[in-house]
Amino acid sequence: MADEIKLDISPMYEGERIRKDDLWVELGGPKADGFELSLATPMDQIEDGKVTVVGPDIGEIKEGSTIPFGMVFKVGGEKIEKDLESIIERRNHALLSYISGLMHLNQRYDIWMRIGKSLKKKGVTSWTQIYKPVIDLYKAEMPFIEKMEITIYTDPAEVKKQLANAMAVYKARDERAKGLHDEDVDVFYGCTLCQAFAPTSACVVTPDRPSLCGAITWFDGRAAAKVDPEGPQFPIAKETAIDAIAGEYAAINEMAEKRSGGEYTTMKLYTFFDAPHTSCGCFETIGFYMPEVDGIGLADRDFKGATPNGLPFSTMAGQTGGGKQVVGFLGMGILYYFSPKFLQADGGWRRIVWMSKGLKERVKAGIDEDMMAKIATEDDAKDIASLKAFLLKVDHPVVNGVTRKVDSKKITEGWKLDEVTDEIKEKVMAYIEKTGGDINIDTVKSELALTEGQFMQVVEALQADGVLE
Amino acid sequence: MGKVIAVTGKGGTGKTAVTAMLIRYLVKNSGKKYRILAIDADPDANLADALGVKVQKTIGDMREYMQQSRYTTPPDTDKQRLFESKLFEILVEEEGYDLLVMGKPEGSGCYCFVNNLLRGIMDKTVNDYDLVIIDTPAGLEHLSRKTIPDLDILIAVTDESRRGLTTAERIRDLAREIELSYKSLFVIVNKVTSERKAAVLETASGLGLKVIGTIPYDERLAKFDLVGDPLMGLPDDSPAVKEMVQVVGALGL
Repeated sequence: MADEIKLDISPMYEGERIRKDDLWVELGGPKADGFELSLATPMDQIEDGKVTVVGPDIGEIKEGSTIPFGMVFKVGGEKIEKDLESIIERRNHALLSYISGLMHLNQRYDIWMRIGKSLKKKGVTSWTQIYKPVIDLYKAEMPFIEKMEITIYTDPAEVKKQLANAMAVYKARDERAKGLHDEDVDVFYGCTLCQAFAPTSACVVTPDRPSLCGAITWFDGRAAAKVDPEGPQFPIAKETAIDAIAGEYAAINEMAEKRSGGEYTTMKLYTFFDAPHTSCGCFETIGFYMPEVDGIGLADRDFKGATPNGLPFSTMAGQTGGGKQVVGFLGMGILYYFSPKFLQADGGWRRIVWMSKGLKERVKAGIDEDMMAKIATEDDAKDIASLKAFLLKVDHPVVNGVTRKVDSKKITEGWKLDEVTDEIKEKVMAYIEKTGGDINIDTVKSELALTEGQFMQVVEALQADGVLE
Repeated sequence: MGKVIAVTGKGGTGKTAVTAMLIRYLVKNSGKKYRILAIDADPDANLADALGVKVQKTIGDMREYMQQSRYTTPPDTDKQRLFESKLFEILVEEEGYDLLVMGKPEGSGCYCFVNNLLRGIMDKTVNDYDLVIIDTPAGLEHLSRKTIPDLDILIAVTDESRRGLTTAERIRDLAREIELSYKSLFVIVNKVTSERKAAVLETASGLGLKVIGTIPYDERLAKFDLVGDPLMGLPDDSPAVKEMVQVVGALGL
């Protein structure tokens, strides 16, 4: 058993880099396997304070070499649950870095550590001498940790084996994190990072609604706000919703008013209409409402052509960007397309009528399966007329009215003729005469370009005229 | 906190050669007194070549990596930490100094978040060194974006022409415009012929510019540059190298 050595430990060493000239041993990093794992473990399966080394100890390793490395921390305590594992694991970076002569970078299966020659000079010969104080640091910082045991792996075959186990744990954790929804959290995060370009933009980042720029998830907001709560990412205590379906919260309205300099007093998360989210400057995609079909189109930054409304991405982005709230246009991040709350107040995917092909391909895993074939791309429709024909043909929900998924409420009426003109009346009369009154809705669509509802509208007008009985 | 020195100047003035010679001199003669970080922030020049270093990847590459990986990283990834590690990966660790290359500018899309991370990391990185020497184009691009922290010393390298010296004056104005803070602005005049030296110094003082070095036209330096040999191999007795004694003294190193 190696003697205990008094290491130099202080928060001031966090972020210390070990240069190649000062390197004793390099662990993990781009050239070797490396991982860290914290496991919530029942109290009776932890030998508190113990450090076990599987493989060569640090004193036996040649100076200047890079080796595979794994560390598994078993933690136990009355309050310790699975969900705390990753929070404990993320503290590794800081706490290990507190040791002078030790550098720790990155996380999970990407860790990269360097032990400096200064620790060798101090007389360190065993991992135990480095990791025993780490247990004390953890217990001091996180008093809910009652017991902690560490195993260090340096044997290459053993590192590989344990890394495979760790990967399964990370995967299960990620699945749980992906299942996190707005209902599950008490805090959303605001972001004003792009106010330099978009002075009235007040972004809200929630588990179900990542930022417009695509760069910031709820987890990023949490990490940044923790480091600097006064910085550009800040917490918003969400409290109860005013309107859960549209995503209206008093706390968000207040935040929007304050951060937009009084420009906006209401801002709703999951809708296109009536006080939508502000659009910054460089959102990844834009949504645009087309009143002619009562549906929404979506285009990404890489789509250079004109959308069915005749406007390219750049023109629409120019009109919408700058932190404005523009009803009928909305900047959105790619990740939002995978959200169960995607425009839920407006009917979600049932309201989407057109997408640029590249975007549709990119987010296809997020699109409701029954809508996949009903959303046109530039191959199907280049203008409003061809879009109308496409939507009629595929029987898109907007044609006869959208019933939104979230509460089964019918929110649109479907297409109606603004005016039943004589020209339409004549066409319908000719059709009825030709078919001898045997009406087939498919031929109504293909020959007359009318929906069933519109056809009935004309028939009713003809009845009112006394032409039909 | 280390001392941050930026060397700037128009193309053709020998700015990158001067930067490389300064680094070379400090590595050879300061007895490892300083931990030195060299930053190549000029996409048109090549400090790495002048130092004789092969560079695989740049900060620009890693910034793109961060942009692309945002769709695939696990949900609870700490992106600052990931980026920090990626930047450490591309740090070139040489005998006596480290080198970072800024590389290509950003593409379309939003770089607010990733540049903000970069600023934080660069601030921390700079703190890890005693001396940071930056080769930057006359437009001071990375400095205006604040991805490189504030300066202690700004050095303008010019040739001996009057126009060269007025460029130094313009750099001073630009620095003011982009609110770049620095403590001192110095001028190094490169490729000076002996008969013009007095006139050059007079012009500079007329413009209120402080000249800390006049590097004589050096046949061997020109040859090294021409065949693309790294300047690290320049002999100690070449006139250009000798002038570095003056420069380093004036910089207080």
